[in-house]
Amino acid sequence: MEEKIIGIAGNPNTGKTTIFNALTGSKQKIGNWPGVTVEKKEGEYIYKDIKFHVVDLPGTYTLLEESEDQKIAIDFLTRNKVDVLVIVADALNLERSLYLLVLLSELHKNIIVDLNMVDLLEKEGIDYDIGHLEKLLKVKFVKTIGNRNIGIDDLKEEIYRNCKEKRDEYLEFNYGAEIEKLIAEIINNLNFSSAYPLRFVALKILEKDEKFIKSISNLIDYEKINQIIFEIEKKCGKSIDRILIEKRYAIIHGIVKECIILKKRGLKFELTEKIDKILTDNLTGPLIFLSIMFLIFCIVFSIGNPIQNLLELTIENFRKFLSYFHLPIWLDSLIKNGIISGVGSVISFLPNIFLYFLFFSILEDTGYIARAAIVSDRLMHKLGLHGKSSIPLILSFGCNVPAILGTRTLEDKKDKILTCLSIPFMSCSARLPIYILFTGIFFIKYQSLIIFSLYLLGLIIGILSMKLFGHIFFKYESSPLIIELPPFRMPYWRNVFIDSWMRTKYFLKKAGTIIFSGSLILWFLSYFPNPSKYGTEFNWIGKIGNLISIPLKTSGFGFWQAGVALIFGIYAKELVVSTFGTLFGTGNLQDVLKGYFTPVSAYSFMIMSLLYMPCIATFWILKKEIGFKWALISFFWSLLIGWISSTLFYQIFIFLKGG
Amino acid sequence: MKRLSEVEEGKYKIVEILKPGKTKKMFNLGILIGDEIEVKKSCPGPVIIKKGNTSVAIGYGIAKDIIVEKVE
Ligand SMILES: Nc1nc2c(ncn2[C@@H]2O[C@H](COP(=O)(O)OP(=O)(O)O)[C@@H](O)[C@H]2O)c(=O)[nH]1
Ligand SMILES: [Mg+2]
Repeated sequence: MEEKIIGIAGNPNTGKTTIFNALTGSKQKIGNWPGVTVEKKEGEYIYKDIKFHVVDLPGTYTLLEESEDQKIAIDFLTRNKVDVLVIVADALNLERSLYLLVLLSELHKNIIVDLNMVDLLEKEGIDYDIGHLEKLLKVKFVKTIGNRNIGIDDLKEEIYRNCKEKRDEYLEFNYGAEIEKLIAEIINNLNFSSAYPLRFVALKILEKDEKFIKSISNLIDYEKINQIIFEIEKKCGKSIDRILIEKRYAIIHGIVKECIILKKRGLKFELTEKIDKILTDNLTGPLIFLSIMFLIFCIVFSIGNPIQNLLELTIENFRKFLSYFHLPIWLDSLIKNGIISGVGSVISFLPNIFLYFLFFSILEDTGYIARAAIVSDRLMHKLGLHGKSSIPLILSFGCNVPAILGTRTLEDKKDKILTCLSIPFMSCSARLPIYILFTGIFFIKYQSLIIFSLYLLGLIIGILSMKLFGHIFFKYESSPLIIELPPFRMPYWRNVFIDSWMRTKYFLKKAGTIIFSGSLILWFLSYFPNPSKYGTEFNWIGKIGNLISIPLKTSGFGFWQAGVALIFGIYAKELVVSTFGTLFGTGNLQDVLKGYFTPVSAYSFMIMSLLYMPCIATFWILKKEIGFKWALISFFWSLLIGWISSTLFYQIFIFLKGG
Repeated sequence: MKRLSEVEEGKYKIVEILKPGKTKKMFNLGILIGDEIEVKKSCPGPVIIKKGNTSVAIGYGIAKDIIVEKVE
C-alpha cells in the first residue's frame, strides 16, 4: 500500500491533538523524539488506498526557536520530508495561524489549513468566506469541529486529494518594492544550492534568525549581506526583522478583514472572563489552586484504594492457586516470592497512577494549568522560580519523569536546571504505595492528612534546595513569565481518556521492565547462597542490608530489611513495598511491620523514602536533560537531605517523648 | 505613557517594548508594537492582557519593559 506522512502543526491549544485523535482513533503510540525526550505522538489510519502516518507536533507560533519543544516542531517542519502538513487553526485566532501558514508557504510545504473550532464562530457572530481565503492564500481550507468529530471526513478526503495531486504554486507575499529589491539582492549573493527555497533563506537572513544564519554561515558572504541590511535599516530607522514581521501581519490582517463575514453580534466570552477573574485573583486564586490539588488527592484515594485492594486480593488468590501445581521448590519460590510480589505490587497501584494522569489531563484540557502558572507566579518568583515551573512541579506529583520532560517549556537554562533539581523531591505516585502501606497500619484515622503532610514536606524541601542551588551556582534571578491563557473549555473526554491511557501504558511498559528485572535480582540475592533460609540474614541480601542499616539507626529503622527495601527503592520507589512483602515472608505484612516500626519511626521512614534519592528512571532522565554532573549532584544531595531530615525528625520526637 | 506593570485595568496601546529579546517573546505570541490591548488584570502578580481573542499573562519582569498609552 502507498504510504504518506502527515504532520499536524499549529499554534498551541488550537485542537491539534483533538484532530490527531479524531484521525487516528486508538491507533497511536507515544514515544520520544530521537535524541531528545519530548513526547512524540504518532498514529496511523487508512483512507481509500493510502496508509497515512500522522505525527502530532508541539505547538508553535513562529519558526523562531524559543524553547526545546518548539525547536522540535521547527526542526520537523523545516527538515523532514512530510507529504502533507495540516495546520490546525483556531477559527477565533485566525491571524496568528495564518502567520505560521505564510512562513511555511515560504518553505514550499504542501499545506492544508484545518479551520477548527468553527462552532465558536457562531457564538462570536462571525464567519469566513472560505473560497476567498483559499484564493488569496493558495491553500485548501477545511472546516472542522474536532471535539464533535465534524468535518473529519472532509479533512481526510482533502488530505487524500492533496497526496494525489502535484502542487507547484505557492503563496508568495509581496513585501513591497523596497524589501523585494533587498530580497532579490540577497538571493543574488547566495550562490549555493540549498535544500530550502532561496527566497526562504533570504527572508531568514533578514529576520536575523541567528541559529539559522549560523547553520549556513560558511556558505554566505555575511559581511556583504550585513552591509546591505545596515544601509536599509539606516534609511528606515527601524530594524529589518521588525519591518518584515509587521508587514506580514499587516497583509494577513488585510486578508482576514476581506474574508470575514460579520453577522449579528454574538455573545462574548463573558463567562470565561468572569471565571478567570476569580481564578486569577490574588486572594481567591491560590485558595482555589490548593483546594483543587487537595481534592484530587482525596478523590484518588477514595476511588483508587478500593480498586487497589481488589487487585491485591486477586493477586493473593492467584498465589494460593499456584500451590496446587507442586512446582520444584526453587521455581515455586521464584514465582511466588520473586515475580508475583514484584509485579503484583506495580499492577495494584496502577489505578492510582491512571487517576493522576486522568486528573492532570483534565486540568490540561480545561485550560486550568495556565491559570495555575499565573496564580503561582508571584509566589514562585519570590522563591526564585519561574511561574511556568509550577506546571512541571504539579506534574511531578504524578511521576517525576514526565515532569522533568515538562521543564522543556522553560526557555531559560537556569530555570530549567533548578526546576529539575527540585522535582525529585516532589512526591510522585510511585511513593504513594509506601505511604498507603504505613499510614494504613499506623495512622488509619488521619491517613489523608498524614499523606498530605508528606507531599507538603517534599514541596518545601524541593523549593528550599532550588533556592540554595540558585544562590550557590547562578546568583540566580528567574526569567519572567509569559504565557498564553487558552479560554476555558469543558474537558473533552476522548482526549482526556486517550491521553491518560497512553501515558499509563507507557509508564507500565517502562516501569514493568525495570521492576520485573528488579524483582528477579532481589529474589536471587534473597535465595542464595542458602536456599532454605529465604530472605534472611543468612543470605546475601541480609548482609547488604545489615551494612546499610548502620547509618539508618539514627533515623529509627536500623534493621537490615529497611536497608534492603531502600536499596531496591532506588531501582523504582514502588519496590520498597514489594521488598517488604518479599523479605517479611508470607505472613500478614501489616502485622509483621507493627513489630518493627512505631508510628514515629514509620513517619521517619516515610520521610526517608520520600527524599532519599531519585529513582533510576528519574536519574536517567535528569542525566539526559541537564547532564551527568547535575544528575550526580541531585543524587548525593537528596541522599544527604533524606538522611538528615528523617534523623532530625526521629531524634526530636524521641527527645520530646522522653523528656 | 506608562509601564504595563503600573497601569490599571482598561484599554491601552503598546507604544514601545524596551528590550529586543522581550519584543521577540511578545511577537511569538502575536502581540506587536502598535497593537491595542485590554488589561484584564493588573499587578501585583502577572498582568493579564487581551488582544482580540488572545489572552496572555505577562510577569512583572516583562511587563515593566512594555510602554503603553491609554486609549479612550
Ligand atoms: N469548542 C471547540 N473546542 C475544541 C474543538 N477542538 C478542540 N477543542 C478543545 O480545545 C482544547 C485544546 O485542544 P487540544 O487538541 O489539546 O489542542 P492542542 O494544544 O493544539 O493539541 C481541548 O479542550 C479540546 O477539547 C472544537 O472544534 N471546538
Ligand atoms: Mg496537543
